[in-house]
Amino acid sequence: MNAKQQAVADRIADYLSENLRLPRETITYDIPLFGDGIGLDSVDSLEIIAGMDLLFGVSLIGAHDSIFGSIRTLSEYIVNHPDFKGIKK
Amino acid sequence: MNDRVVITGLGLICAIGSDVDECFDNALAGKVGIKEVKSVEHSGCYAHIGGENNGFVTPDGEDRASALCIKAAEEAVADSGEGVFDDPSRVGVVIGSCVGGAVSIEKFYRDYVADPDKASGEDVLKMPISAIANNVALRFGAQGAVDNVANACAAGTMSIAIAADLIRSGKADAVIAGGSDPMSSLAFSGFHALHALDDEPCRPFNKSKGIALGEGAGVLIVESYEHAKKRGAKVYCEVLGSGVSSDAHHITAPAPDGEGMQAAMERSLGNSGIKASDVDYINAHGTGTPLNDSSELGAMLRVFGDEGNVSCSTTKSMVGHCLGAAGSVEAVMCVKAIERGIVPPTAGYADGDISLMREKAGNFDFVPNKGKQRKVEYVQSNNYAFGGNNASIIYAKEDAPRKLAEPNDERVFVTGFGIVGPLGNTAEEYAANVNAGAEAKKCEECGDFVSSVGREDFDAVGIKLGFYRKLDKLSQMTCVSGKRALANAGIEVTDDNARRIGIVAGTSDGPQTEIANFQKGIIENGTEKGSAFMFPNTVYNAAPGYLSIAAGIKGYNVTLSNGAASGIAAVAFAKRALLTTQNDVILAVGADEDSETVHMLYGKIGALGKGMILGDGATTVVLERGSSADARGAKKYAEVLGSGFAHCPTEFGKYGCADKLKEAIALALAESGITEKDVSTVVTCSNGTESLGKAEEAALAGLAGAKRVNVKALCGESRAASSALSVAHAAMMLGGMIDGDAGKYVLALGASAGGSYNAVVLAKA
Repeated sequence: MNAKQQAVADRIADYLSENLRLPRETITYDIPLFGDGIGLDSVDSLEIIAGMDLLFGVSLIGAHDSIFGSIRTLSEYIVNHPDFKGIKK
Repeated sequence: MNDRVVITGLGLICAIGSDVDECFDNALAGKVGIKEVKSVEHSGCYAHIGGENNGFVTPDGEDRASALCIKAAEEAVADSGEGVFDDPSRVGVVIGSCVGGAVSIEKFYRDYVADPDKASGEDVLKMPISAIANNVALRFGAQGAVDNVANACAAGTMSIAIAADLIRSGKADAVIAGGSDPMSSLAFSGFHALHALDDEPCRPFNKSKGIALGEGAGVLIVESYEHAKKRGAKVYCEVLGSGVSSDAHHITAPAPDGEGMQAAMERSLGNSGIKASDVDYINAHGTGTPLNDSSELGAMLRVFGDEGNVSCSTTKSMVGHCLGAAGSVEAVMCVKAIERGIVPPTAGYADGDISLMREKAGNFDFVPNKGKQRKVEYVQSNNYAFGGNNASIIYAKEDAPRKLAEPNDERVFVTGFGIVGPLGNTAEEYAANVNAGAEAKKCEECGDFVSSVGREDFDAVGIKLGFYRKLDKLSQMTCVSGKRALANAGIEVTDDNARRIGIVAGTSDGPQTEIANFQKGIIENGTEKGSAFMFPNTVYNAAPGYLSIAAGIKGYNVTLSNGAASGIAAVAFAKRALLTTQNDVILAVGADEDSETVHMLYGKIGALGKGMILGDGATTVVLERGSSADARGAKKYAEVLGSGFAHCPTEFGKYGCADKLKEAIALALAESGITEKDVSTVVTCSNGTESLGKAEEAALAGLAGAKRVNVKALCGESRAASSALSVAHAAMMLGGMIDGDAGKYVLALGASAGGSYNAVVLAKA
């Protein structure tokens, strides 16, 4: 992970901790977000979609399910998205 | 038995009209009132429509929820004719609401975000759901049972069911019942965040792409048959039985199998003594979301079959989803359908839709697009809510045959407690701390008494991180207290007993912290950026909804909100529900939270610094029928003998009227078959506020010999948590958990700023 992606990944982890009330220490780059990992559900995924738009100006609507796998996959998608112009918030 | 309850007056305002006849005639014509929303900024949203009544301008200085409700109530009261209020102490007000003062909440936080000093305490008093029934009672001088039902989208139906129960149990002659909710950025943003809004007018049981929000109020005068006949009133129809159940599945989504919905429908039929085949018309919940529509349609087909004998429509296709008002708006439609022998349609069917519907619903009749004349003798109206709460009620033509379920005459006992508060997070810890004279936890900066719930509490009651991280503080305290109470009572919830265990929750202020955070988020980021995570927690019944899920409770589930006395009111209400519903056990929960936000709100209304110290917590009192307690050999801490309430029409936010507290006490003693001299201990309701202290002293003049206890002196004015704790403390004294001889009879009191007083008598078991 390069510095740019790491900054995005850390911002996402902070956001999930704050907005989905997850203990910050449980959120590693690779822990599965859904299923057996931290067990997020469909309402949480709506919060993540809204958050990525708010934080990075990137819309995840229509994105493939696989990008929601972990913070690593999410941050990779975001930094490579044409609308990504840096961390807005 | 005096079990006949009738409707004698109607009032309605919604997107398709400003009075009953205008609304009903437009509904029959299939007129859709869903168009571009004017009162909420929605330019960044994917959906822009809803059902508003733009012609109704909120009068200056009033909140829109109360104003809409009073408008409909004025029509209903005028319609009911002379003499309905001959004895104001026998007139109640029961109003359902979901978002309550959401328009005032937005105004307050817009002002607050701009400049904290500018935000006004007058707006704070318009925020809570509690204000609505109080404002209606003040307008009409009602002095009986005054309460708000806060079960989100099922509240409007529950309010009418509760009004009928009050009359049947002899607690009122007439009740102004209904529901009210305004269009609000809170709801618009919340349902938008959940992707639950349709960008076109909603088409329930058809395209099912989402809901359209609505606004409005429906008010019905629910009256005892004898009272109505004696004054020569016109009778529209009768109110028969009702059914309430919980899904125990998910905080926003219905259980896909629709079992909870089916249970509520079957209970309303059973409690009315009629068969499914007797029903002529169903006003379905029919929100238009794919999940609701498929669960509900499945449940209806199982109960009613697909032969097409019953007509079913959803008037939300025309007026939108009026949330806590929905059931009452729909009740008015149902009553008019019975009166005129014509049922309103479901709008929005295009050519070809009907044949598609045949494939999934056979000949089930959705009454497409235009009203339909037919025999309308029995009507069922159904509503389902966040928290997995389901409600169903039957209306019938005057004199239609029925056999209502008879109330049982069992004794009701307290068989357990769960206490989360500044003196500990279990009943045992609370009792030990009280016995040791320990000081309660206080917040150093603000001086309030505070509870804290943490991971160890959830671990102890078996609630996992994936569940408890969703909870706001009100829900956290409620879940821990409820689960602890079940354990304390030795009750295991199983598939066999889940539908016979219920919850009656009381809260004064609901989840004000989560509401504030959600609203501030919209103000900062736009309506289109509301938090899907927070929104479900903004409804007052979320906390007991989460408890039902965490504990697997599938029976009765009602949330009451009427100020600080809501907790003791929940106990009195739960006792009555044990006698009139199919529940063996009801958890009576009182819960209210403190936070920086709540402290600020109480500061704004000038309630702090005058002797009152805020606290918070959740108290669960397990009430159980004697037969159930005996069958499982449960320990009985105390018997709940009787209760009384009285209301002094007062400006919301103020105490007053010692004579009304005295009246509540007299009613409770009379129902318990004892007199003032029998009372050995009083758990008082004073909270340091001078006016309440004086009222209480005056009301207790005849009880000078009784010992006095006050739980608010121990752990603050925790509002509903305190008033439920007053009952728990009394039962713990009688049961020997708390030291000090309580004697044989303990009187517990509750008071709400707004003029409502409650009294409950407990006896040694």
